[in-house]
Amino acid sequence: MKPILFVLLCAVLLNACSEGSSDSVSPGAGTGGSTARFTVAGNNLYIVTNTSLQAYDITQNTNPKLGQKTKLGFGVETIFPYGNHLFIGTQTGMFIYAMGPNGQPSFVSQYNHVMSCDPVVVQGNYAYVTLRSGTACRNPVAANVLDVLDITDLRTPKLMRSYPMRSPHGLGIDGNLLFVTEGDYGLRVLDATKPLDIREVQFLTDVKAYDVIPKQQRLIVTGKDGIYQYSYADEKQLKLISKLPVETTL
Amino acid sequence: MPYHYLVRRYKTALLLLSLISLDSCYINSGSDPAVDRRETYRPIYSTYDRVRTVETLDPQPIRTAGKIYIKDQFLFINDVGRGIHIVDNSDPASPTKVSFVAIPSARELAIKDSILYVDNIIDLVALNIANPRNVRLAKRVENAFTYAAYPPMHNVRFECPDPEKGLVIGWEKAEVTNPQCFR
Repeated sequence: MKPILFVLLCAVLLNACSEGSSDSVSPGAGTGGSTARFTVAGNNLYIVTNTSLQAYDITQNTNPKLGQKTKLGFGVETIFPYGNHLFIGTQTGMFIYAMGPNGQPSFVSQYNHVMSCDPVVVQGNYAYVTLRSGTACRNPVAANVLDVLDITDLRTPKLMRSYPMRSPHGLGIDGNLLFVTEGDYGLRVLDATKPLDIREVQFLTDVKAYDVIPKQQRLIVTGKDGIYQYSYADEKQLKLISKLPVETTL
Repeated sequence: MPYHYLVRRYKTALLLLSLISLDSCYINSGSDPAVDRRETYRPIYSTYDRVRTVETLDPQPIRTAGKIYIKDQFLFINDVGRGIHIVDNSDPASPTKVSFVAIPSARELAIKDSILYVDNIIDLVALNIANPRNVRLAKRVENAFTYAAYPPMHNVRFECPDPEKGLVIGWEKAEVTNPQCFR
C-alpha cells in the first residue's frame, strides 16, 4: 500500500506544482487585457458591470448558471484574477475579493484613491494600479500616476510608491517587465525587478497605445491604428513583429 | 444671444438667474453660462430579433478595436459594438484573420476551453468556437445585463429612448430639439 500512496502523493504534488507555475489563473481560460470586464477563473465567469460583480458557474461551460451577485458601489471598470483572488478596479479605488471553494467572491479589502480611471494588475506581493485623469474618468484634475501597492497582507494593501505617468490607459506585467500604455503619448516599458525602484527601459512614442497583454515574451498592444505585436525576449529593446491594421481603436 | 432657445430650455433656471444677477447676464454676454452647448445625441433603434442574431462571417476589416483576448494560438479582437474578429496568431509575424463573428453590441469577452462568452446587448451569449469558421450559439442567458439607455459619453444631452421603438443599439450625434435627457 505504501508505495502506491507515495506515487499518488507525488502525482498530486507534481500536479500542484505545474499548476502553480502557470501564469494562467485557471486551465482552459485565456488571457485578457487590464481593461477587461469579463474574466474566467476556475469554474466561474466573473463579470463586472458599472455597479456590481456577477459570477456565473461555468462548470458546464456551455451552460453558464447565474451565481452570486455582489454590489460594489459605482464606477466599476476592470477585473483581474490572480491566484485565489479577484482585483477589481473602480473609479474610487481597488477592491480585493477572495474566491471561495465554489468561486463565490467574498470581500477582503479595499484601497481608496482619488476619482480616476484605474486598471490593476498583480504579480507576487505587489499590485500595480494606474490612475488617469480626464473627463471620462470624472476627474479632470486627478494625477496621472502608477501606484505600487504592497499586498503581502491582502487585508491591508499599502501604497508604497507612486510614479508619475502621462496618461496611463492600461498595463501588463510579466516577470521583470511592466508595460504601461500611455494613450496618445505612447508605450512605456519599465523594469520592475525592484517594484519600489521601477526604472524606465524604453518609451515608444511612435505608437498610440491603449492596452497590452504580455505573454510568453510577446507583447500584444492595442494601438490607435493597429494591433501591434512585439517581442520582449531582449528585455532592453522591444522588437516589432507585426501590425494588424485597424481603422481606429477605442 | 439665442434667448428663445435659452428660455425654452431653462425657463426656471433663467428666471432664477435673472432674479439673482440680471446684471452679470448682460455683462458677460460673451460666455453666458446658461446656454447649453453640450452635444446632443439621438438613439439608434433595432428590434430584439435582429439584435439577438449571432452569425459567423468571412474576415472583415477591423473598424473600431476594443478589448483583446488571447487563447492558444488565437487572438480575439472586439470590434466595438459589432462583434469579434478571430485571428490565427500561430505565426505572430503574420497574424491571419480567420472569421468575423457578428454579435450586435458586443464589447466584452472571455474564453473557457472552446466556449467564448460575449455580451450581446442585454444578453450574455456562450458561443462554441471549436470551429472558428462556424461559431455556434451554445447558450443565451437572456437579460443578463441592465439595459443602458444612455450614450457612453459624458456631459452630453440626448433624446430619451422610447422602449416602444425597440432596443437602443447605439447613438448618433444629431441636432435634437429640446432634449429632456442628459448625462
